Amino acid sequence: MKILSLLCGTDSFQKQFEAIRPNLYRVAYSWSHNAALADDLVQEALVKALKNSGQLRDPALFNGWVFSILANCWRDHFRQHREMDDIDEIEDHLCATQTTPEDDHSLSQVISRVRAAVAKLPIGQRQVLTLVDLEGFPYIEVASILAIPIGTVMSRLSRARQELKILLNELAPQHTAHVSHLRRVI
Amino acid sequence: MTTSQRISDELLNSFIDNELESDEKSELLNAIRHDDTLKERVCELRGLKEMIQHAYREPPSCIAPPLKKSAHWKNSCIQNITRLAACLLLLMLGWWSGWIMSAKSHLANNPREMSVFQAAQSNNVAEKPNNFIVNVSSSNPARLKTALDETENLLEANKRAAQPFKVEIVANGGGVNLLRSDVSPFAKRIAMMRIKYPNFDYIACKVSINKLQKNGVIVHLLPHTGVVTSAAGEINKRLIQGWDYVRI
Repeated sequence: MKILSLLCGTDSFQKQFEAIRPNLYRVAYSWSHNAALADDLVQEALVKALKNSGQLRDPALFNGWVFSILANCWRDHFRQHREMDDIDEIEDHLCATQTTPEDDHSLSQVISRVRAAVAKLPIGQRQVLTLVDLEGFPYIEVASILAIPIGTVMSRLSRARQELKILLNELAPQHTAHVSHLRRVI
Repeated sequence: MTTSQRISDELLNSFIDNELESDEKSELLNAIRHDDTLKERVCELRGLKEMIQHAYREPPSCIAPPLKKSAHWKNSCIQNITRLAACLLLLMLGWWSGWIMSAKSHLANNPREMSVFQAAQSNNVAEKPNNFIVNVSSSNPARLKTALDETENLLEANKRAAQPFKVEIVANGGGVNLLRSDVSPFAKRIAMMRIKYPNFDYIACKVSINKLQKNGVIVHLLPHTGVVTSAAGEINKRLIQGWDYVRI
């Protein structure tokens, strides 16, 4: 039976993995806002999923199952790096927070503003928000992926959206009062 | 308290995320129709949701580090190899069972041939001895001795083999000295070996003999020494015939 499963069982499974990869990456990126880390997390989650593919009984639950692995990988990453501060990252952050014309310009863009606002949310709220909004998971599935009660999912989502509204207003480009007008001199 | 104030954010979130039952949904839709503040709150939440979807539609891509990629490649490679091995195993099983079944069914129809088949099977179990060609091309006496030692070992080891077999020494270059009656330090030993092992032959290369003769050397070979036009040709011929080749 093992030989038969080896011969014909894994092809459709691999296609599912290929198909879900961009979705995983999008969510991982929205959690970390770091492309390299997001890629690492997705890679790790897919390797773990491949290794434990035998544990998935119902193929219909595939998406939720893979996302829960991603959430675990994200949690593990936090545990491992809890007491570490990368000096380079701090310097990058300091450089990034200094206001330059390029930063001002990018901040005025909607995408950058929204990403910056999402990045400022507490991680629990960020996870719930992105799983619901980006992947369209029902609340019950988000609760299962993150291993939290459904009530917590609802309250975190509500708080996240409230917070986001405030943050987006804060990050919106301010129109200065001192606008220099051209004057006709002749 | 207005309708908008009575309706919680959680409920509105559930509404825009399509989490409400149809009764609750129609009740809320009715409330939204009559309350502009509520309508505004819903619009704001929907706008927020769309903004987030827009912001992450195309996240910046990352070139995966080579180590991770290789790990992934390795993983898929291992899986492919396992699958290939499973295929081969299945093919071999099929071929073997097909062969056995056809042989059995054929023999079942011809009972007289059954004993012959069984005998052939039992003979196949015993390993068929190989023929050996030993090549020596150096005049170094140590090498010449080794060639004879190896040949004798092979003859002894296969002495009790069921099938007849042969061991041949092919001497070329300086190795021809082994078979020259006036030069060879092992002439007596070779003569003894020839008596003891009838399946032992020794051959000298004509090309090498001609070279010696060109240099003014008169070549006298040991009795019963065979001569071939080329040692390389002889070795090649034997290899094609399935002999094992030993180079000293």
